[in-house]
Amino acid sequence: MNRLLLLSGCAALVPGALASQGTPSSAARQAPAVYAITNATIVPVVGPRIASGTVVIRDGKIAAVGANVAVPAGAQVIDAKGMSVYPGMIDSGTRLGLVEIGSVPGGQDTQELGQFNPQDNVLTAVNPHSEHIGITRANGVTSVITSATGGLIQGSAALIDMAGWTPYEMAESGQVAMVMTFPRVGGGGRGQGGRFGGQPQGDATEMQNRQVLDLYTYLRNAKAYNERSNPVPQNRAYAALGPALRGEVPVVFDVETESQIRGALAVADTFKLKVILRGAQEAWMLADTLAARKVPVIVGPTTESPANSVPYDAIYANPGVLAKAGVVIAFQSGDGGEGNARNLPYNAALATAYGLDPEEGLRSVTINPARIWGVGDRLGSIEVGKTANLFVATGDPLDVRTQVKHVFVKGELQPWDDRHTKLYEKFRARPKP
Amino acid sequence: MRSLLLIPLLAGLSAAGAAAQQAAPAGQADAAVPLKAPIPPAGTLVAITNATVITASRGTLEKATVLIRNGKIAAVGANVTVPPGAQVIDGTGKFVMPGIIDAHSHSAAEAINEGTRSITSQVRIEDVLREDGLGLYRSLAGGVTTLNVLHGSANTIGGQNGVIKIRWGLPVDSLLFAGAPPGIKFALGENVRQTNQPQLPGRTPRYPRTRMGQEEVLRDAFTRAREYQAEWKAYEAARKALRRGQVEPIPPARDLQLDALVEVMEGKRLVHAHSYRSDEILMILRVAKDFGFRIASLQHVLEGYKIADEIAAAGTGASSFADNWAYKLEAYDAIPHNAAIMAERGVVVTINSDSDERARRLYQEAAKAMKYGGVSEEAAIRMITLNAAIQLGVDKVTGSIDVGKDADLAVFNGHPFAPASRVEMTLIDGRVFFDRNKAFTLEQLIEQLKRTRINTTSDGAP
Repeated sequence: MNRLLLLSGCAALVPGALASQGTPSSAARQAPAVYAITNATIVPVVGPRIASGTVVIRDGKIAAVGANVAVPAGAQVIDAKGMSVYPGMIDSGTRLGLVEIGSVPGGQDTQELGQFNPQDNVLTAVNPHSEHIGITRANGVTSVITSATGGLIQGSAALIDMAGWTPYEMAESGQVAMVMTFPRVGGGGRGQGGRFGGQPQGDATEMQNRQVLDLYTYLRNAKAYNERSNPVPQNRAYAALGPALRGEVPVVFDVETESQIRGALAVADTFKLKVILRGAQEAWMLADTLAARKVPVIVGPTTESPANSVPYDAIYANPGVLAKAGVVIAFQSGDGGEGNARNLPYNAALATAYGLDPEEGLRSVTINPARIWGVGDRLGSIEVGKTANLFVATGDPLDVRTQVKHVFVKGELQPWDDRHTKLYEKFRARPKP
Repeated sequence: MRSLLLIPLLAGLSAAGAAAQQAAPAGQADAAVPLKAPIPPAGTLVAITNATVITASRGTLEKATVLIRNGKIAAVGANVTVPPGAQVIDGTGKFVMPGIIDAHSHSAAEAINEGTRSITSQVRIEDVLREDGLGLYRSLAGGVTTLNVLHGSANTIGGQNGVIKIRWGLPVDSLLFAGAPPGIKFALGENVRQTNQPQLPGRTPRYPRTRMGQEEVLRDAFTRAREYQAEWKAYEAARKALRRGQVEPIPPARDLQLDALVEVMEGKRLVHAHSYRSDEILMILRVAKDFGFRIASLQHVLEGYKIADEIAAAGTGASSFADNWAYKLEAYDAIPHNAAIMAERGVVVTINSDSDERARRLYQEAAKAMKYGGVSEEAAIRMITLNAAIQLGVDKVTGSIDVGKDADLAVFNGHPFAPASRVEMTLIDGRVFFDRNKAFTLEQLIEQLKRTRINTTSDGAP
């Protein structure tokens, strides 16, 4: 209760009269205040740790970091003695904002009809007031990739921060990647396919093969369309693929099996796409190839059962095998509305128990995803000039026992007003009946 | 998470034919299930030495030895002498905790929902157990030794449970936990209402469709069970009073459904009640009180934190997810502090998996009770060990590392709650049933594939 009151109090104290200094964070009605987090172990993620230092936040950005940084006059001071500062974590695969309660009709808004919807703008459907946002943020996950599901081309993925009055204020980027699925070929059900999985089954295989052809045909047509100087009639769907076909934005392929991975790489080669793989439970089979081709892989969720045909630790060990081979990896929670995005770091933790270096595990939820998604200059580490998405915690965020105490998004200290904290405080205070 | 919706499979009873048929006869609830293969030969000695031992009952012991004789824990402590001839497992740098007990599982069950009727207390999970599911092996590799294998949540009064130990590799009848009290699954809320299932054309909706109807199913069933119990009591009394020359009284018709419910009322069968919302939980606590029995455990009990005092007063256990929420309307008020609040108010709390996947990392789930609400480390350990043993009525024989108990143990390479820790070894009755050093791992598969020179050319293009 104390914590809740204290932090709500802090938020209310933010002076509204200070003029905004051109911050990109339009989320703030009030100008962002100046904060100083002092006496903290600073974990920049890039570069060495600072045993006891200060982080100064001003105008939404990290203004100073170091052991001998002075606290600016008028700064709101957070004494983080015994605690650590980490960059906000980035979840590389969610449906956040699109699903409130999956089982309720109207509770999810993720899947458009048809196989090809490159023109769909995911931000349109992101509910900035979803209860999931505050809950995700409360564990130090300050940004997520959110995108739609279904079909072969799902549209744009957005990178959104876990605060903001509108989807557009939340967005670091409304279109960080084009999302595609390479259809499963020659396999059984989810998690059972691939080289070691089920057998191709008649009609299903035919349909999958047709889907592969459909994908190629669609992309060829889109490429031809985008090569024309003044196409009439205009086709918004083909046009939406222009940036991806020109290599200006990456294409993220949701895949699981080895054959899907090979298939996605072949599409990328054919159309010269900048490719990111996501899911990719069987990527360990192609670790050297992926490293040589510099294809980043979004791994996870590790909270899935492996196929029956692979060793018991295959899902947990996959990220470590990739990282050791030199593949740049990042994690996704795969949160499809179940509220798991807050557990992003524990996906990485499971991998560190089975071969992933713990430091790389931490980078895989911070700086690696920032770089993969093209925002490595703005997010993912504690460095001067970066957006102040960061949190103060009692210890290693990969350790479940660690408690997150303060969260900043775009330089603003976030109130503890999420649904779970509120219910906790309310019922913890229930008098004995 | 998909499995949480537990869309009831209308499992035919014929599935039972494929599996073992052994079990205590109905009506003899306290009869021990025969135990066949797993007891190690007499005189077998195993010692895990120089380990950090998390007892779950008496704190954590450093540089301690756990001595196992004939499958039971014979000694625990820093000053235990290892007798000659003992098989020694070097525990240096390792953490030993009690084998994890998953208080809500469906592993090993061929089918879990006989959902065609609202009352199916006659069906038994024991009859549909399989010993060969990979889920079992993988749970074992996550340090799990005991499972409460429950019927599904398709109907108000479901089937009888089976408590098992994961004696992987042994015949199916070796799985059953000898002496574990029998139990039964009840269920409330959305799954029973079938609100999250498509209404198939031509299919008659099944009563009940509301929580009110669920209460009525319970009260009606136990009213009939009471009458049935009275008929049998009258019959037994008449037989006892029978004098030479008098006509033998006629016994009442045997009713397998009501037999199980009579056992519930007589305290011989534990009720594990799937429930989410505080209102339905209060309802079932009242029904139980009115018919003179105790609910052994509320399963899921996501809103238990709202009525923790009432649950504690009823002497009822709570077995919850660590932090799942929002997957159904009735899960929208679930909070990760649920376990902590209930524990604070005196409820015996466990964290369960309800999933082959979560069972693999139940130790990580239990740690969330420390994070959210700040329970102590030992209390969080108990939520997957001793407390579960209490809820299942087996705490005298397992659930903690104490002399005389079964040697059900999980050996980790670090603290079970630490991020990079994994299970190295799992023992049941003093026998090693999982050993990572002997397990087939991804690393080994990769080596194997390298030796067989997998073709790595790209072949995905049509």
